[in-house]
Amino acid sequence: MISKGMERMHTNFTPQEMIVVAGSRVLENNKVIFAGTGLPMVAITLAQFTHAPGIIPVFEAGAVGPTLDRGLPLSVGCSRTTSKASYLQGLNTAFELTQRGFCDFGFIGGAEIDPYGNLNSTMMGQFPEEYQKPQLRLPGSGGASDMAASCERTIIIMAHERRRFVEKLQYLTSPGYLDGSEGARRRAGLVGQGPYRVITTKALLGFDEKTHRMKLIATMPGETVESVQQNTGFELLVDEKVYEFAPPTVEELRLIREEIDPRGYFIKRK
Amino acid sequence: MWTGLSPSEARSLLVQKDKAKKDKRMSITEAVSTLVKDGYNLGIGGFVNSRQPVATVHEIIRQGKKDLLLSFHSAGLAVEYLAGAMALDQQQFSIKRLEFAYWGIELFGLSSMLRFLSENGMVELEDWSNFNMSARFKAAAMGLPFLPCRSPLGSDVPRANRSKIIDCPFTGEPIALLPACHPHVALIHVQEADIYGNCRIGGPLFTCPEIALAAAHTIVTCERIIPHEEMIQEPSRINIPFFAVDAVVEIPLGAYPGNCHSRYYFDENHIKEFRNAVEAFRKGNPIPLQRYYDQYIYGVTDSDGMLEQIPYRQLKHIQQIELREAVLMQETGDDKQGDGKNAH
Repeated sequence: MISKGMERMHTNFTPQEMIVVAGSRVLENNKVIFAGTGLPMVAITLAQFTHAPGIIPVFEAGAVGPTLDRGLPLSVGCSRTTSKASYLQGLNTAFELTQRGFCDFGFIGGAEIDPYGNLNSTMMGQFPEEYQKPQLRLPGSGGASDMAASCERTIIIMAHERRRFVEKLQYLTSPGYLDGSEGARRRAGLVGQGPYRVITTKALLGFDEKTHRMKLIATMPGETVESVQQNTGFELLVDEKVYEFAPPTVEELRLIREEIDPRGYFIKRK
Repeated sequence: MWTGLSPSEARSLLVQKDKAKKDKRMSITEAVSTLVKDGYNLGIGGFVNSRQPVATVHEIIRQGKKDLLLSFHSAGLAVEYLAGAMALDQQQFSIKRLEFAYWGIELFGLSSMLRFLSENGMVELEDWSNFNMSARFKAAAMGLPFLPCRSPLGSDVPRANRSKIIDCPFTGEPIALLPACHPHVALIHVQEADIYGNCRIGGPLFTCPEIALAAAHTIVTCERIIPHEEMIQEPSRINIPFFAVDAVVEIPLGAYPGNCHSRYYFDENHIKEFRNAVEAFRKGNPIPLQRYYDQYIYGVTDSDGMLEQIPYRQLKHIQQIELREAVLMQETGDDKQGDGKNAH
């Protein structure tokens, strides 16, 4: 976390801007971050521009270690991911790096999340009965389940809505702590440690060390423990030191609006 | 068990194949009519909307192939075009099955056509992850029936596909085994090829080399054919060797309206035009999609016929934003000039 001592805070910002700022602040310098399209890219770039210039991004289509200063990529496979990359191969190589243990964090999302940080990005409907004819078909795993399996930790970005935070997923695409039992991931053969943080439009969440259930760590500005719980479809644990997350600084917002996403591709201006 | 070629069929087809270093240039019409047959498993190169074999799939649509199996990790435009043709007229063109990890347009949203086909039960689905599909092509390229992989352990993914989870004979811990994927034909778009089929890929390789080596046949489209002598000056930069390739077709802008590294960026305006048409179709209005296909696919004989209809300023813009630093764009104001608002 960066020091806020002398910095000016901004009062006018959107939930998406807050999510990106939170995503950036949880990233540590000099770590290898395997990232998906969209908000994770903005968060990584913001971190590179502020407290963590030594972050090493990896994109699944093949680029390792780029600096995203050629304009924000519109895809993890597009040309802009290769700007100043230090290694450039393909999907197999990128994912092999995760299995080998080179990737400290995976940065992923989904349409649904359960209390143990498992994610669904495949389908809505009864599984397996309706798998071949789902009620709503989502794009599919892409690389999310690979990151969830084999990055050492994952950071999850979600829109905080009750219908997305559910006790039971309709389909488990990307493994978190599975049923939450001790050693569940290891028994399944998964090498990574599992979810580290969930960053949402309303809260910063983590997981209880014993039960692996989701725990509220901080509320975003303007939210309360109650408002976060009301928008969550299962009971949250609440950290005894729960606090209010600091709003974006003037400089963080300037970087997002003017340098990183000036055309508002990922961060809508409202 | 094998939905495309079995490993032994794939091997014997290669053993019988003429590997001579010969001139493989031909028209896209000839390449597709010679190599793509009904019921085939097609390995789709590229990644989401980057370096997708768009010109090739347009020709496959024109030739009206049926009951195809599409194998890919992440795709957008190429498969959306194929599915759109099926949505308009199943008698003219059809897909039977999908083996895939992701079908969507990332920033541009969910796929209207994946939703249409799957929510109406019109295609068989087999979900995998990106690594799974890449490893399946790699297993095939290695001449092995399977590769072990950590994903999709722990998820619901293996409950709906043919992966096998076993206890590793060495560690005793669970590991997933993924069956090789041998397409009948790989569809690959690259920046540079020579007349024999050697390919030099710019930017991320995606899984194109593995798909080409896994398939029985490969159709390569390229932005530019370069002299063989130039190609072999840097043999370590050859990503696909000539004997894995059966057809070489020079098609500038062959991945348009997608992105082709170091050549052109996405044409957001055109992608939106197509997206609006497929979404209108999903919501019950087939007219814009029929009009789109008539204008850009059925009403033309090849990709030149489509590209002639795209305003020059729009094509210039996607090349400029690909080649110039963002900072230069702002200084010259090119970005403003060519944002395509005046197009159409």
